[in-house]
Amino acid sequence: MRRPSGTDGSLLPSLPWTLFALGFSVLPHIPFIPVWISAALLICATGRLYIERRRRRLPPASLRVVLALMCFIGVLATYQNITGVGPGSALLVVMAALKLMETRKRRDQFVLLFISIFLIMASLLRDQYIWSLPFLLVGVLITMTAWLRMSAGATIGIRRSFATGSRLLLYAAPITLAMWVFFPRLASPFWSVPIDTSRAQSGLSDTMSPGDISSLSLSNAVAFRVDFAGDVPAPPDLYWRGLVLHRFNGRTWTGNEVSISTGIGSPVEYLGGPVRYQITLEPTSRHWVYALDIPYEWSLDQTIMGRQNQLARRRPIDQRMSFSATSYLDYRLDVNREIRVNDYYRSLPENSNTETQKFAKKMHAEATSDANYINNVLKMFHEQEYYYTLDPPALGSNPVDRFLFRTRQGFCEHYASAFAVLMRAAGIPSRIVLGYQGGELNSLGGYLIVRQSDAHAWNEVWLPNRGWTRVDPTGAVAPERISSGIAGAMFGDIGASWGLSSPSMLLHQLTLTWDAINAKWNEWVLGYGPENQNRLMKWLGMGDPDWQKMILTLLGIVAIIIAAISFLLIYRNRPPPKDEAAVLYQKFASRVGIQPVTGETPYVFASRIRNEDNVSVDDSDRVTELYLDARYGPPNPDALRALRESVRAYSSA
Amino acid sequence: MSSTTWQFPRLLPVGPFKRAAARRVERWARKRQGTDRLITELESRRVYILPTGVGLIFALMTFAMLLGSMNYNNNLSFVLTFLLSSLGLISMHQCQRNLVGLEIAFSGVDAVFAGQGATFKIAITNHSRSYRYNLQIYRDSLTSDIQDLAPGESKVFLLELPTAARGYVRLPRFGLRTLFPFELFRSWAWLHMDLAGLVYPHPADSPPEPPPTQTAHGHRQHDARGEEDFAGLRNFHKGDSPRHVAWKAFARSGEMYSKQFSGADTSSQWFDFDYVDDADTEKRLAILTRWILDADRARQDYGLRIPGAQFNPAHGDAHFHGCLRYLATFELTEPDTDAPA
Repeated sequence: MRRPSGTDGSLLPSLPWTLFALGFSVLPHIPFIPVWISAALLICATGRLYIERRRRRLPPASLRVVLALMCFIGVLATYQNITGVGPGSALLVVMAALKLMETRKRRDQFVLLFISIFLIMASLLRDQYIWSLPFLLVGVLITMTAWLRMSAGATIGIRRSFATGSRLLLYAAPITLAMWVFFPRLASPFWSVPIDTSRAQSGLSDTMSPGDISSLSLSNAVAFRVDFAGDVPAPPDLYWRGLVLHRFNGRTWTGNEVSISTGIGSPVEYLGGPVRYQITLEPTSRHWVYALDIPYEWSLDQTIMGRQNQLARRRPIDQRMSFSATSYLDYRLDVNREIRVNDYYRSLPENSNTETQKFAKKMHAEATSDANYINNVLKMFHEQEYYYTLDPPALGSNPVDRFLFRTRQGFCEHYASAFAVLMRAAGIPSRIVLGYQGGELNSLGGYLIVRQSDAHAWNEVWLPNRGWTRVDPTGAVAPERISSGIAGAMFGDIGASWGLSSPSMLLHQLTLTWDAINAKWNEWVLGYGPENQNRLMKWLGMGDPDWQKMILTLLGIVAIIIAAISFLLIYRNRPPPKDEAAVLYQKFASRVGIQPVTGETPYVFASRIRNEDNVSVDDSDRVTELYLDARYGPPNPDALRALRESVRAYSSA
Repeated sequence: MSSTTWQFPRLLPVGPFKRAAARRVERWARKRQGTDRLITELESRRVYILPTGVGLIFALMTFAMLLGSMNYNNNLSFVLTFLLSSLGLISMHQCQRNLVGLEIAFSGVDAVFAGQGATFKIAITNHSRSYRYNLQIYRDSLTSDIQDLAPGESKVFLLELPTAARGYVRLPRFGLRTLFPFELFRSWAWLHMDLAGLVYPHPADSPPEPPPTQTAHGHRQHDARGEEDFAGLRNFHKGDSPRHVAWKAFARSGEMYSKQFSGADTSSQWFDFDYVDDADTEKRLAILTRWILDADRARQDYGLRIPGAQFNPAHGDAHFHGCLRYLATFELTEPDTDAPA
């Protein structure tokens, strides 16, 4: 049977609200989907409203099929695939636009409202800002109001639907909160589907080729935030260990793949006291996990320690993650290591950077000891004309030679690379550590912000009796950078690059405040994972929390809230209070022991009970008279009081 | 050749099972609730609730969203998921509460001729302080309009049942249902009021000539007049029909007078069951019904003679309905319980 394609205006009360809900849900997607899709939705929405107003016919089915095919091909051509948030949300918007063209009955709008909810969900998968929460609440409120409009009768106004929607949302809020807090969080996902393939990787790269890319991009983006349990260590101690590079081909340093990590670090002798802290990592789509040198304990799932005591997670960090860790600032790493003849921490490609190798051997021969040699190298960086710049000239095929003896300009990677080559050429085992150095203390939130601009590279050299020892050759050039951190803004170049070239203090303060709010948001809302939940459960008094206990607690709390709301609904539905006079007369009748029959007037009733033993003629007449006065006479509080007194007097007699 | 529309063959003959199940549920509910009084207030224990198709899709969607949230450990989509599931839970309670406490009263059904729809009037009163939305009376696939009730408001819901034969049209049970707020749940209550309406026989379409009109003296009066003759005025007595009040005289003098007519009862007809020339009882009743209807419209007096009863010539609504009621229930057994008509 053919469905009629005409419209009768029956959608007019509900369609605008459905369109409003849909439009609101599409808002956060507009920057991410192709313009033609937004335009198509706009055209379909206004067109559909026009058709309904003028009682026109809907486009024929054949045209709709052709349009659907064209749109699908359009999405496919734009994205090349149909998985992930980008193409998914684009497809949803296209579906909404096309569904509008065949929406005829009120109930057809269900599909549109379901799409609206899915669009809200998709926008949450893409970004989770602070305003995403109010956005989702308002979005659900509008969608639910539209939902109510769909079945509301003609007498129900929009304000009433809105009030009903808000009331139900208000009832739902405590249950939602309880579910959110107590629903057990999984440590690992069931399956790994990249949420948004278009998101670029950020943070440190896995390899280092100083001189290839001639400028370091120092974004002001947050890499991670750290909340210390005790005092914040001094800035020179804040070396955030990331990955370790030890293989050098003359141009590029590489390290071990995460996949071959054994999970056992080299032996460490821990000295001094532990430092405990909580780290919230921003998503990087990479595997490296940063921790204060040198990590001892950490609570992030699927995270293991590599041979070189670096931390890595088997799955990339594609969500904001929060974990606690313990580190020791004072340590001796791998003291008893044996040095083999062809140790890979001393190997260098023979035909590259020959000038440097010769120079190193000569300088080492002149030095009294390995330590003396290291000091001499650092002194060279300090006293000679070596410059720290973020925009160094490109280096050719022998980058270390060119850097050390020609350009003498570079940033941390150049210095670390040159230093490592100088050490290896002299036979001292060395490697490069990539990570972050320092961080800005947010006094408002009491935590440290480590930004991408704090990225750093330094060296570790192995010395007998001391093990792997950290040496920061960049610090030799500019020791101030180490002592005051990046906030000191010693280097004009750096200051300019992180967007606060002329920082007014107020603006800076505002930025810090906003960051403090964001940090709490990230830690407690977005980063609320298995670990935070565990801590909260323990704080709430749940011993040894596991998922069964949480589910049981959740069910209990939800049952209690539902019961409370149920009572609230019963209370709202209560009948109006009974007439007090009627209640009093009822009481009188039950004391006498005879009930009035239906249809019996008070006078007839009074004459009937006159013959009873337990009531005098006087009483029955007086109470009846007062009752008639109080209930049917002109409003008179005295009559009611008199009735109350006489009934009480009769009861006590 | 008959042109029947081709129907999609059913894979399983579920129809009979479904009907049997429905009958079983109906018996169970009746046994559980008993017969209701004609004014019944709904208590919570007799308000049933089940999810609708939309509700099931909603649940499925929420579950899919939960899986997505768990997989990505995305705390904001957890908020959305839990908000939707909470709204589902709340709407379940709201849906049931939307019916509880309503007062349902049967407020009559007018007698109809067979073939016409019998409209049962059911008044629903909202004694509570909150709005009640989206209410509908139904019996199987027959439904009333959907209406809302403001606090304290009372509205009549009309449920029209088709009638086929004279006798009684019975409504042993009807339901009151609501889909409020989000159509995720359907909440309903069954009311067993054992209602029945009277169905007069269908008036014959082409009846034979009625028996001739007679004057009071027994003479035939061929020019039967519908008009009665005006005889004069007398003082108004309580109980006089307002139609007979001389309003013009009242406007002039302020005194109430009633018009007096002479000539009433001068002509009358006897409709005799045995007089009708047809073998079939139903057809005879149909013919009698038509005669009575025509006579009533012509404001003539008529009498009815039928085995077991005799209605002397008279006119007026009471006489009219009395005769027709007798015809409707002629040789029929009474309904199981006393039926208000």
